Amino acid sequence: MAFAEYAWLIPIFPLIAFVVIGFLGNRLFKKWEGGAPVAILMTAISLVLALAVAFEALTTGDGTPFVQSLEWLVVQSGEFNFTFNMGIYIDNLSALMLIVVAFISTLVVIYSLGYMHEEGEKKRRYYAVISLFISVMLGLVLASNFLQMFIFWELVGLCSYLLIGFWNTRPSAASAAKKAFLVTRIGDIMFMIGLFVFFIGFQGNLDYTHIFNNVDAFVGGDALLTFGTLMIFGGAIGKSAQFPLHDWLPDAMEGPTTVSALIHAATMVKAGVYLVARSYPVMVETPDTMLFIAFIGGFTALFAATMALNNTNIKRVLAYSTVSQLGYMFLALGAGGYIYYYHADFNVGYAAGTFHLMNHAFFKALLFLSAGAVIHAAHTEDMRLMGGLSKKLKITSLVMLIGCISIAGIPPFSGFWSKDLVLEAAFEGIQYNGLFILLYAFGLITAFLTAFYMFRLWFLTFAGKPRDQHTYDHAHEAPKVMWVPLAILAVLAFGSGFAFLMGFESVLVPGLEGFVPHEASAVDLLVAVFTNILTYASILAAVLGIGLAYLVYYKGTINPAVFTATPARKAMSNVLLARYGFTKAYDWFGLKVIYGISKVVDFIDRRIIDGLINGISAGLIRAGGFLRRGQTGFVQSYAAVIVAGVSLIVILLFYVGGVI
Amino acid sequence: MFENIPILSLLILFPLLGAIAAFMLGRSPKAAKYVALVFSAIPLALVTLMLTEFSLSGGFQFVENYEWISFLGINFHLGIDGVSVTMVFLSTLLVFLAILFSWDVEERLNQYMGLMLLLEVGILGVFTALDYFVFYIFWEVVLIPMYFLIAIWGGMNRAYASIKFFIYTHVASLAMLLGIFALYFTTAPLLKADGLIPVDAIGTFDMQLIARVAGDGLGHMLQIAIFGALFFGFIVKMPVVPFHTWLPDAHVQAPTAGSVLLAGLLLKMGSYGIIRICLPTLPDAAVDFQLIMAVIGVVSIIYGAFACLAQSDLKKMVAYSSISHMGIVMLGIATLSQLGIAAAVFQMFAHGLITAVLFMVCGMFQHKAGTREIPLLGGLAPKVPILATVMMMGFMASLGLPGMVGFLAEFMVFTSTFDTWGVWVLVPIATVALTAAYYLWAMQRSIFGELTTKIDTKHMHDAYWFEILPLAVLLGFIVLFGVWPAFALDLITPSIPSVWPLNGVI
Repeated sequence: MAFAEYAWLIPIFPLIAFVVIGFLGNRLFKKWEGGAPVAILMTAISLVLALAVAFEALTTGDGTPFVQSLEWLVVQSGEFNFTFNMGIYIDNLSALMLIVVAFISTLVVIYSLGYMHEEGEKKRRYYAVISLFISVMLGLVLASNFLQMFIFWELVGLCSYLLIGFWNTRPSAASAAKKAFLVTRIGDIMFMIGLFVFFIGFQGNLDYTHIFNNVDAFVGGDALLTFGTLMIFGGAIGKSAQFPLHDWLPDAMEGPTTVSALIHAATMVKAGVYLVARSYPVMVETPDTMLFIAFIGGFTALFAATMALNNTNIKRVLAYSTVSQLGYMFLALGAGGYIYYYHADFNVGYAAGTFHLMNHAFFKALLFLSAGAVIHAAHTEDMRLMGGLSKKLKITSLVMLIGCISIAGIPPFSGFWSKDLVLEAAFEGIQYNGLFILLYAFGLITAFLTAFYMFRLWFLTFAGKPRDQHTYDHAHEAPKVMWVPLAILAVLAFGSGFAFLMGFESVLVPGLEGFVPHEASAVDLLVAVFTNILTYASILAAVLGIGLAYLVYYKGTINPAVFTATPARKAMSNVLLARYGFTKAYDWFGLKVIYGISKVVDFIDRRIIDGLINGISAGLIRAGGFLRRGQTGFVQSYAAVIVAGVSLIVILLFYVGGVI
Repeated sequence: MFENIPILSLLILFPLLGAIAAFMLGRSPKAAKYVALVFSAIPLALVTLMLTEFSLSGGFQFVENYEWISFLGINFHLGIDGVSVTMVFLSTLLVFLAILFSWDVEERLNQYMGLMLLLEVGILGVFTALDYFVFYIFWEVVLIPMYFLIAIWGGMNRAYASIKFFIYTHVASLAMLLGIFALYFTTAPLLKADGLIPVDAIGTFDMQLIARVAGDGLGHMLQIAIFGALFFGFIVKMPVVPFHTWLPDAHVQAPTAGSVLLAGLLLKMGSYGIIRICLPTLPDAAVDFQLIMAVIGVVSIIYGAFACLAQSDLKKMVAYSSISHMGIVMLGIATLSQLGIAAAVFQMFAHGLITAVLFMVCGMFQHKAGTREIPLLGGLAPKVPILATVMMMGFMASLGLPGMVGFLAEFMVFTSTFDTWGVWVLVPIATVALTAAYYLWAMQRSIFGELTTKIDTKHMHDAYWFEILPLAVLLGFIVLFGVWPAFALDLITPSIPSVWPLNGVI
């Protein structure tokens, strides 16, 4: 473990960039793209180191994690003792996350050179905060205990808040930033309660190694542990925008598209998935939690996909798609953990979830950044004003097509491999719990819907005739600094799925007792995949989805108006556009319930408590009117009276006290 | 290094000398502020030096004990342990920075500076006294300069606010005084029986001596009665709901530096009193009061947070947030666990640093925008970027963001709450979201969005050096103790068993 010794430096480099850009003044960076070169350099350095560390861990690791930590807070006094550590924990899972985070971060900062070029003085703030984000996100990945993870968990939330509200003079952006922070904070509170359960139950030590090795030593019983893991998952629900805390993510699209790609698609929103995968050794002890995770995941996958069907904002569609795909990951992880409880040998759930995490990071970053290139060219996010842009944006349209095919799940693109595994995991669960029939169905329908809305998006944007001549005329291909990262991501969006054939399943193992990694040659794996009837079901779903989108939005065989032709369909469409009323419900809760209570509290404070106090004093003043001569108005004399009074009491008590 | 130097007395003496000097400099008020700055820097330097010598053994250190009024058993007895040293450091730091922040005050400058230093005398006395009589004297000393600071340099409604502050806290002091006398007279026979004081003495005001006999020797009902009297005196000062209404009024009227010291230090005197006096002296009564303390704490947390959301005056909002955050201190104490009490002390320290930033920010809004009414503000971030950044950092610290000092304190309080009362922790912890809500909403309406047209923003000036400097120091400490909380907690925790020896969590 030669490189791992230096892994702690990985988050340090971007942190240096943050400090340098953030505090060294405007003057230095006015001509330097707001400090972009510093951010790119530092991120690139940490990418190199991250790749070295990750490859070392993936290739030479023997399954035992590399842990390095220093004592952050040691409390040893009287009868209470505990230690909080700060450290790094490197195993295959964190190695995978390191690659994803460091790699996409670097590409996004480079891409920002083009995308954010016209932002003027605001650029310095952008590069400072995004460097901070990269630093704390890498810190989150490397954390060696739950408290440390929570600390970085909150800090990535802060960066998310700052970047969603980057254009803070726009009221909508400021509002969206606030919403993101508050909604995820509800999840964070649950996470915190989970930490309390772990802290007490595992006797004051939150280190992964301690907890994973002493799962059986939990004090407090199964019910408490289930409660604890549920609460931990509550944190993931908020951060990864799962039902019912999903509604902040579409609003988060108010931020720059680079931010949406990096934070709200590829990295931060994956933190919830990472958290569940990370705490797998504890989570699998509580099958009820696992079932709940699978259910929330499966339901969210379908639920979010429906909202993407008729939205006309290119980024919003991608946001719903992200929520939906995150649901897939939770479905796989939950199913895997649930199955493990009954049958410990092997199941694909864990590998499927983490594999989809990686592939999704690549193709969704590609999709968002391509959308960014479109927005950069068209100066609008509204797909109704686009159309025919493939003639102007040849590269962008091509790479985005690769992304669309990948997410739709057409072999051999990456999305196919992992989505197939997710559905396989869900299907496997049917043997153990009938609920998985439903969840598998959700997953399959989602596959169909995903293919449909992604190709709807592509056709609406790039195909056909321009619907807005002005937009079309001004559109131009993205500069090189933008399309080169796109091209790199396109290669990965196509090819990252081949990791499956190279033995992803046998490398990404959850480190559970009795869990036997699945070793198989590439040919065997291929045979296994393509002799399985389920594979063809999911391919069929994807093809049908693409076909329908083609007929509606390209050939025009079916008029899109057919979806809103009857009052019932129209109503359904409006429900989707209104996000099933969640936005209104959130607002109602905040404004009517919470603010309403606060108005009542304010009334109690002013009228009742203070009213009482003022009433008493007014009464005293009236009653004491005859003592007015004593009221000179000089506080000195009041003080003198006080001193005299106190002395009197002392003397009185002194004499009377003797009697007592 | 300090073996033969009465450093705690010097700590109190220097501000007193400075105060006298400042009062006498009526003819050249400008000189008064330099005098004040120097005489507030000296205690800060002394405390810093003292910290290098501070032992982590947990007991009282730098103890001084001089006979004063010996026939009544009054000694000038000072000493500090881990609980008080954090408060002493906070006091010297905040007074120094508050004086610096007041650099542009012009009205009756020398008196203003003198009062600030006099306030420091009182506060340092309270946090170092180990004798009830000395404690009470200093406790009252604090009251007077604060009263004048509000009454002379306050806002429109200052007369009402200052009188309310004075009467409220004074009534509480009297309750406390009764409690002290009761302790004095009831423990005297016990102390004599144990041979701790001479048989012909009337009694003693020594805190440690009284604590040695009170817990075991006094009857249960008597303990409860005395605890009640002292406790009432302290909670009004903290303050907790429903005895809190003097605080928002006092803050709204007080000048900025006054608010900084009021929220940063004066409130801590209340919780400090509970930790220093109530718990170790009357532990059985503390157990009886546990549920009351918890309820008071939780109600203050929730009530304060909801009240914040309804405020339109930025400063009033921050004032209510103090009630909410001091409720967390109360809850930590109420757990009656060593973890909770240590966390409470850390929260006091954290709140002192953070709330100072918040009140300075409010003062700057008043100064630069001419108003603190949130509905009149809006979109000011591009106009005053430094102020906006500082505001955001302060708010983030106050809502408990990790990496800043408030997080771990709250986290530890809630951990021990969970340990004591299980899932009831859901009730107070839910306000964590509410806290974020009122801060973020206030920021959204004051610095984000479109630039306001309701006030004149053309001539707005961003922060001056004497504003940036104290804020930078405070924020530096907020981040330092957030990133490395052991700096503070290593001081605090060894002393906790002597405050509350009975049980531990883990």
